[in-house]
Formats: sequence, structure tokens, C-alpha cells
Amino acid sequence: MNEFGSLLFLPSIAAILSLVIQNPAVTRKFCALAAWIQLVIVLSMLSQILTGHVPNLPFVSGLAVDRLGACFIVLTTFVVASCLTHADYFFQAAANRGDEYSANRVKVFYASTNIFLMAMTTVFCCDSLGYLWIAIEATTLSSAPLVYFERNKYALEATWKYLIVCSVGIAFALLGTVFIFAASQRGDIQAATLNVSELIAGSKALNFPLLRLGFIFCLLGYGTKAGIFPLHTWLPDAHSEAPAPASAMLSGSLLNCALFGIWKVSTVILAANPTAPAFQLVSVLGTITVLAASLLIIRQHNLKRLWAYSSIENVGLMVFAIGLGSGPLFFLQAVNHSLAKVALFLLAGNIIQATGTKKLNKLHGLMENAPSWAAALALASLAVAGAPPFGAFVAEMSLLTLSLTDHRYILALTITIALAISFLGILSHTGKVIFGAGKPNFKHFAEKRAVAIPVLLILCSLVIGLAVDTATWMPGYDHKHISQTQRKVAEVSCR
Amino acid sequence: MTLDTFEALSVLSAILGILILGTTLLRTNLSFYRMHTLAIAAVTAWIAHITKEDHLYVVALGVFLIKVIFIPNFLNWVMKKVDVGSDKQAFIAAPLSMHLGALMLGLSFLLSKQIPGLVGGHDSHLGSTAAMSILFTGVLLMLTRRAALSQIVGFLVIENGIYLFAVTQTHGMPMLVEMGLLLEVLVGVMISGLLLFNIKKSFEHIDVSQLTELKD
Repeated sequence: MNEFGSLLFLPSIAAILSLVIQNPAVTRKFCALAAWIQLVIVLSMLSQILTGHVPNLPFVSGLAVDRLGACFIVLTTFVVASCLTHADYFFQAAANRGDEYSANRVKVFYASTNIFLMAMTTVFCCDSLGYLWIAIEATTLSSAPLVYFERNKYALEATWKYLIVCSVGIAFALLGTVFIFAASQRGDIQAATLNVSELIAGSKALNFPLLRLGFIFCLLGYGTKAGIFPLHTWLPDAHSEAPAPASAMLSGSLLNCALFGIWKVSTVILAANPTAPAFQLVSVLGTITVLAASLLIIRQHNLKRLWAYSSIENVGLMVFAIGLGSGPLFFLQAVNHSLAKVALFLLAGNIIQATGTKKLNKLHGLMENAPSWAAALALASLAVAGAPPFGAFVAEMSLLTLSLTDHRYILALTITIALAISFLGILSHTGKVIFGAGKPNFKHFAEKRAVAIPVLLILCSLVIGLAVDTATWMPGYDHKHISQTQRKVAEVSCR
Repeated sequence: MTLDTFEALSVLSAILGILILGTTLLRTNLSFYRMHTLAIAAVTAWIAHITKEDHLYVVALGVFLIKVIFIPNFLNWVMKKVDVGSDKQAFIAAPLSMHLGALMLGLSFLLSKQIPGLVGGHDSHLGSTAAMSILFTGVLLMLTRRAALSQIVGFLVIENGIYLFAVTQTHGMPMLVEMGLLLEVLVGVMISGLLLFNIKKSFEHIDVSQLTELKD
């Protein structure tokens, strides 16, 4: 328990201090610094798991970190630290433009961000499905103030939808959790439990029909929160109305939390029956999401909504990876998406601040106005669209290869077509923003400082694409094993 | 079929839930919600008495303090502040939606027999009927009502249905999970209540069906 406490200690202190400190300029610097220190703390505490020396780190019953969870904690903390560093610039640029946010609003922003970070860290520490549910709902509640930051009508509508749609969605995940608990009570398992490790250990003894029902409810519930099509309606609104650093955090770390919930429940049903037809639903849902989002990307008129739909597309890919039973590929896709998308949302925030508009048809000539921003935007769009040599290419390639070896030809074909469509859509949209005549009233501030964090993120994505040998480094690269067992079981059942 | 006390109480709470559908007066809605939740707290306490699981008494007390006392009072206060008395222009007229709710109760009775795995002898059939009916009631409230306050009540009713299902079918989830859940509901209601003030301030109404500014 002490270790778990020390994992959350610094953000909780930062949350309190950001409410106490009166000068927003101090809070901005201090919280960014605290987030980077938190990253160091997390890395040192979890180093044993990250390097694979220890399979998992249990805190108390119901709270434990496995290797995948540890990777996600590091990713989340890194994303939040980057966003808070950029937020310092963001608020300063807003003040420079003459619309400084009141000290109170900035206080609430930083306090909620720190609570949000605590909630997200807890999500990845959960072994109990009950705690997982609580932590994921806590991420919704703590991020609602971030969405409402602008305090205008649009932000209000987006926050209301976000809160209500996600809460109701998550309520169904709770029903699913209750079903899974009932499944363990009615099975031959020793004591009823919600702990994933115990559920997996006794997976054959669970009451399977109830488990299946619970799984479907959890998939739809957490899927609402992750933005699976057609339950995604809240996502573009919330992502486009939140201020840029908050949109980046919502997209780069919050979506991963909901997907991690789906992954946790999936591991239980995979252990109970690897060929369950209900589980096949996951990869199909992922494919539909990728296809729908890539079609919706084409007809976007708003820069931030464009990136929101691109996030939905990536969520589809991650759900597909979960549907293939591959945790490592899920993480690889998640890390590449987070890096590129955070860079894109932060750049979008810069552009919107400088031009005063989000409308794509009013944005043009970024190359003339701010060449470094244009270069970063081009590279980040390529990275998110999955062009080589960026990391997303490796992830998408391995995803397609794996689905082909698993004989899911139709799904693989659909995803390939959808990826091509979204590639063209994203590049044609960003092309229009970058090229053309420059805007006369482009007011930017500290051009170089504004791209520091996006460039750092793009470089990370590049390093992952070039230097990473997926077969060796990825945590427990065991999807081959899973798919082989799946096939063997399928062959046996066919006979 | 014998009717246990806790089953009778569950069905009572389902019926009180359906009565919420029967009026568009928000104050009356909240009173019915209070009674409906009180019945659920009583079910919890009664099950604690039958099964001798002491932690359920604590949960029942928590439900009573938070969901029966605090939340309706808080929402009443919000309602007075925003000065909205009734939920005009519900998509389906109140009497009709109440009858729909009653129909759903019958449907839940048939459906709860179909839940796989819950057909064993010691499962409470009526308990899951009531829980499912409450779930449907909540969904109906959220779908047919326009006022933001009714949406909050609808969410609370859905949550009650899930909670009742957990209590009657599994005799309560682990204590910490139940407590976390209560806390979550409390914070969620308070945040949405505060948002409601701002909706009233910015839009001069709390009709959520008119929140349609954001689109592609």
C-alpha cells in the first residue's frame, strides 16, 4: 500500500498546492516540473517490471501493476508532463494575445489535471475490476472541469454531453462488472472475486454464460468511453472544445485508460474460452470503428474535430489489436498514437491561438507564417497517418500481418482500405493548412518555444519507428502463442 | 412461489420508480426518487439481516445517507436556484411513459428468466425483475425527458437498478467497491448540478434537447 501511495503522492501534493498558490505563473512552472519529477519517480519505482525482472508488482489485494500496466503508466505520465510543459507556453501566449484566463480558472485547471493524473495512474494499477470501474469513472469526473475550461456555451454543451454520455456508458460497464462477479460466485471458484488475476487462475470454473454477458456489457460500456463507433458522439465535441493541452491529454492518455479496461476484461474471457464468439465481436467492432472514422475524417471542417476523428480511428485500431488478443501490439499502437496525437493537438492549439479560427477552410499558408510549425505539423500528420519511418507504421504493419496470420482476411482488407482513405484525408486537410498564401493577421508568439514539445514527441515517434525491434522489446510478445492456441482449439472443435 | 420480504421491497422500489415516470413535476419526481431509494436501502439492510453479512449494513447506511438524504436535498436546492418547476414538453406524455414503464416491468419479468446462469434455485427471480425494471425506467426517463435535472435523475435511477441487481443477485460486491461507487455517484451529481447552474445562466433554460450547437 505504501508503494501505491508513493506513486500518487506527488500529484496529490501538486493538486493541493496548485489550489493554494495564488500566482498562476508559479503554478504553471511548478506543476510542469512536478509532472517530470513524477515521471522519474514512476520510472524508478517500476523499473523492475519494465525490464521484465519481476512479472508484476502487487500492492494490496486488488491493486497490482503488470508489465503492460507499467508501460502505460510511464506513457501517461510522459504525456501529462509534455502537455503541462506546453500548457505553460499556452497560457502565456493567451495572456500575450490579451485574453488572459483568470487565476481561479488556471488553479482549477491544474488541480483537476493532477487529480486526473492520479486517477489514470490508478486505472493501470487495478487488478480488481471493481476498482478499475471506480478509477475510470474518476477519470471522467476529474477531466470534466478540463473540458469546461473555456466557460462558454460550446464548452458547456460539450461538457454536459461528455459527463452524461460517459457516465451512462460506464454505468453499463458497472452492470457488466456485476455480471462477472456473479459469474465467479456461481462457478466452482473458491471465493467470489473481482480480481483479474484470480479470475484468470480459475477461469475454467467460472459460469461462462454470465461471464460472456458481463464481457459484452463491459465492452460496450468502456467502449463508449473509448469512443467506439457508434458510441463516439461525445468525443469530437469534448476534444474540440477543451483547451489544446487538455484535448491532448484526453486523446493521448484518457482513451488509453478506457481501452485498458476493455483489455483487462478481455484477458478474463480469453482465459476462459479463447474462441468465444463474443470475443470475436471485439475485432469486428474495431474494424467498423476504423472504417467509419476514416470516412468521417474526409468531411471535417474543424481542425480539432479532424484530430478527434483521427483519434477514433486509432481507437479502432487499438480495439482491433485487443481483439487479436495481443497486449503488446495494443501498447505499441497506443504509444505511437499518443505521441503523434499529442503533438498534433498542441500544434492545433498554437495555430488556433495565432489565427483565431478553428475552421479548416479559413486556415492556409502556415508555411509562410511560421515555417517551423508547418514542418512540425506535416511530420506529425505523417506520423499519425502511419507513414514510414514513424512508429505508427510499424504498429499498423504488425497489426495487419498478425490479422493475416490469424486468417482474418476480410477485416484486414477493410482496415487497409480505411487506413488508405484516412491517410489521404488527413494529408489533404493538412496540405491545405500548410500551403497557400499566408494569413495577414497571423499573430504568433515565441515560435521556436511553441514547437519544442511537439518536436520532442515527433522525435520519440521516429525513434520507436526506426530503432525498435518489435519482436524483442515488447512486453511479453506472446500473441503468436495466443493465436496458435486459438487455432488449435478451433481445429479440435471443428472435428 | 413465496415472496420474501426483500423481494417484496425490491418490487416496491420498482413500482415507486415507475411512479417517477408518471409526473413531470420535478419536485414530485425527486420525492418519488427518495422513496424509491429508501426501499432499496431497506432491501440492502434486509439482505444483510438474512445473510449475516455485516458489511451490508454499512452499505445500507451509506445508501441512506447519500442517496436518500443528501442527493435529493441537493437536487431540490439546485432546482430552487435555477427556478424550474416542471419538465415541460416531455417527448412522451407522462401518463403514457408511466404505462410504458409498467409494461417494461412485465417485460423484465420475462427477460429475467432468460438471463443465462441466473436460473439456479437460490437466485432471486423477482429481485432481478425489479432491478431490470428500474434499469429500463431510468433509460426511459433519460430518453423521454428534456430537462437536464430529469437526465440526472434518470442516471441515478439507472445506477439504482444496477446496484439493486448487485445486491439481490450477488449479495453485494466487496465493501470498498460499493463505497467507491457511492462516492463516485455523489461527486458526479455534484459536478452535474454545478454544470446545471451554468446551463441555466448561459442558455436561460435547462432543456438539453436544445443543446445542438456542436456538430460536424
